[in-house]
Amino acid sequence: MLKKIIHIFFLPCSKATLLMEKRNAKSISPKENWQLSMHVKICKWCKAYQKKVEILDSILKKKWFGEEEVDINTAEIQNFKDKVFRKLDF
Amino acid sequence: MTKNETLKNWIEQYSESLLRRAIYLLSDKVEAEDIVQEVFIAAFSSYDSFEGKSKPLTWLNTILNNKVADFYRKKYKSEPYIKLDHFFDETGSWKNDSVLNDWNVSNQESELLDNQDFNKSLEDCIEDLPSRWKIPMKMYYLEEKKAPEVSQELDITTTNLWKILQRTRMQLRECLEINWFSKS
Repeated sequence: MLKKIIHIFFLPCSKATLLMEKRNAKSISPKENWQLSMHVKICKWCKAYQKKVEILDSILKKKWFGEEEVDINTAEIQNFKDKVFRKLDF
Repeated sequence: MTKNETLKNWIEQYSESLLRRAIYLLSDKVEAEDIVQEVFIAAFSSYDSFEGKSKPLTWLNTILNNKVADFYRKKYKSEPYIKLDHFFDETGSWKNDSVLNDWNVSNQESELLDNQDFNKSLEDCIEDLPSRWKIPMKMYYLEEKKAPEVSQELDITTTNLWKILQRTRMQLRECLEINWFSKS
């Protein structure tokens, strides 16, 4: 029943979770922001999810500035350089 | 230094960094090598337009981004259709309660990232995403790009980029829930 009320008066969870992405990127309109806040106040699922969105966002922001996890070795890099030198006729 | 000498220098110095970035974005070594090679060829032919205002690597990274975007646009010509019915029922409500599980990590994200096993789970979950979604997500997080910028580069609407981010994050959440948080 509560789920239904949320759905009718505010917005469905499937939309609320989309608005979270917009809010995260600071691209949310004031109206959408209000709708999302009201939704999260009364929906425990989206409230829990929002917390996880924030955690994931913060983790991904920290994680993906570097590429050091990429698996490539010195020999492969050297091979590549040689290939490009040949290609460009250096 | 002549143009050839400069290019030679750049290839020596920046191949590794460019390759790592390309492999990360494309999740494919062969594809990545081809693209970085194209980057150097493009840099060679448009060398005159490089005015030294930015650092060479910054300029090469910009060319790489454009090449990755070209690759993406060619591969995925139509706008994506993103389904959420795995997560939500027909009224748009959550299908199950797994989202309610407590992750218990408030303010400890850095600790998580220091944990090798967690990193491995996260990387596996990311690599499991379809590349149609993975590439936009990675471009979005790389250098913290803005959504309009990424969607313009990839030639998708901003709305679709939000949907892609929503869908990838839902899947990552579920994957981590299963492979990490429920086990730790």
